[in-house]
Amino acid sequence: MQYALLIYENEELYRGANGRSFEAIIAAHRALAGELATQGILKGGSGLKTADTATTVRKAGGEHALHDGPYAEAREQLGGFYLVDVPDLDAALAIAKRIPFAGDGAIEVRPVIEEG
Amino acid sequence: MKTLDQTAREAGGRIVAALAAAFRDLDLAEEAFAEACARAAAVWPAAPPLDPAAWLYATARRRALDMIRRRSVRQRLTPDDPEPEPSAEDLLTSDTRLIPDERLRLIFVCCHPAVAPEARAALTLRLVCGLSVQEIARAFLAAEPAMFQRLTRAKKKIAEAGVSFEVPGPEAWPERLAAVLSTLEVAYARAHEDAAGAGTHAGYAREMLDLTAVLAELLPNEPECLAFAATVRFAEARRPARLDAEGAMVPLSEQDPARWSRPLILEADALLRRAARLNASGPRQLRAALHGAWSLRRSLAEPPPWSAILALYDLLLAWREDPFVRINRTVALAEVAGPAVALAEVEGLDAARLADFLPFHAVRADLLTRLGRREEALAAYDRALDLGPQAAERLWLMQRRGEVAQAL
Repeated sequence: MQYALLIYENEELYRGANGRSFEAIIAAHRALAGELATQGILKGGSGLKTADTATTVRKAGGEHALHDGPYAEAREQLGGFYLVDVPDLDAALAIAKRIPFAGDGAIEVRPVIEEG
Repeated sequence: MKTLDQTAREAGGRIVAALAAAFRDLDLAEEAFAEACARAAAVWPAAPPLDPAAWLYATARRRALDMIRRRSVRQRLTPDDPEPEPSAEDLLTSDTRLIPDERLRLIFVCCHPAVAPEARAALTLRLVCGLSVQEIARAFLAAEPAMFQRLTRAKKKIAEAGVSFEVPGPEAWPERLAAVLSTLEVAYARAHEDAAGAGTHAGYAREMLDLTAVLAELLPNEPECLAFAATVRFAEARRPARLDAEGAMVPLSEQDPARWSRPLILEADALLRRAARLNASGPRQLRAALHGAWSLRRSLAEPPPWSAILALYDLLLAWREDPFVRINRTVALAEVAGPAVALAEVEGLDAARLADFLPFHAVRADLLTRLGRREEALAAYDRALDLGPQAAERLWLMQRRGEVAQAL
């Protein structure tokens, strides 16, 4: 089964003087992704630029409206995701627990709709 | 021969668990079992089976396979012939012992941390214990449609999110077993709260005995699991003594030990000893030991074991500080060190946090009474009564309050 592991964390932890922790976390992500890729588990994923670079396109009443910023203003923002193929939820949760964080954060584990 | 109801009660959990494990589909398992029961109701009166449980299992299995086939060929115009009833020959080769025991797997599925906490116990009681949705709804004080929704949502989550039907591996074991035990503890607390034993929660106290027996049997080397099974037995042993003739609660220290069930106490004792031999202490063993200390009392003439109780509460608090445990400890403290010492301890607790905890007010009221501070005691009893206790406890509190009011 495929799962998307959606990473939510506080971007402030990577800003300014915290830039160095960003480098370290990115390296940890690369190591984890490399390991999962060798095991044939990793099907995709990416880090995302900070939420202040986001533009939201909202469709309401047949009209599209654009606004600057992420879909939801929150202290923790979607910062990246892994797409993994594992036998069951427990395996996906185990990988989620290994995802590196600079501080506190959350991983939302969502099963992916299987095609065909 | 056993009746259909009796067989479904006794073997239903095992059959549904075996089907769920084989087909990895809770709905399918439930439906197939329900259809097998309906079939049995029609067929058994004329042709009673030799082994009713095996008959139900064999029939439900066939129904499940049939349903899967029908699903995959839904487009075809001519349905397959239905499977025949199990023949006598089939049954000779498939007696009850051949129904694989997958209840542990099913308990782990129902109590998975990915399932909403309020649905875990309900789902376990439904699938593993075979309680009806109506019974569970009554026990959890929920409307039947709401409970049905909650169970449906939980089953959907399990299916869609890919919750594993395996017993978890060693790395996830502590977390997952803790989820199972705390789910069952919450469920049992509800069953136990109903002191009258005639109300709706008590309906599944019996099932909690069965469920913990299954856990203790299948996890013989988990001391906390054995200890929880012991606690349920110690507590159920006292059920016959928990109410007086008027239906008021009888506090533990005033219960007549002659009315406690000795067989259950012996069972609990054996479980607790087995847990102790595994040499890994834990809070559930301490809680079971508290019950065990009480159960040593053989008659009201013997002094209550207050010192032992106090020592066990101290050990429990050393494990983890807990204001609720501390309140219970003060009851023993009052007997060992006097009501003044105990009251000082109670007054030192975080009253705001304990404002809605009934024992806090009840214990305070009792200590104030014993110290002759009757006005304050009355106010404390009123606070306790305001929190809406169960009928038996309310009656007991009102009796106590009445005695204090009369002495004023």
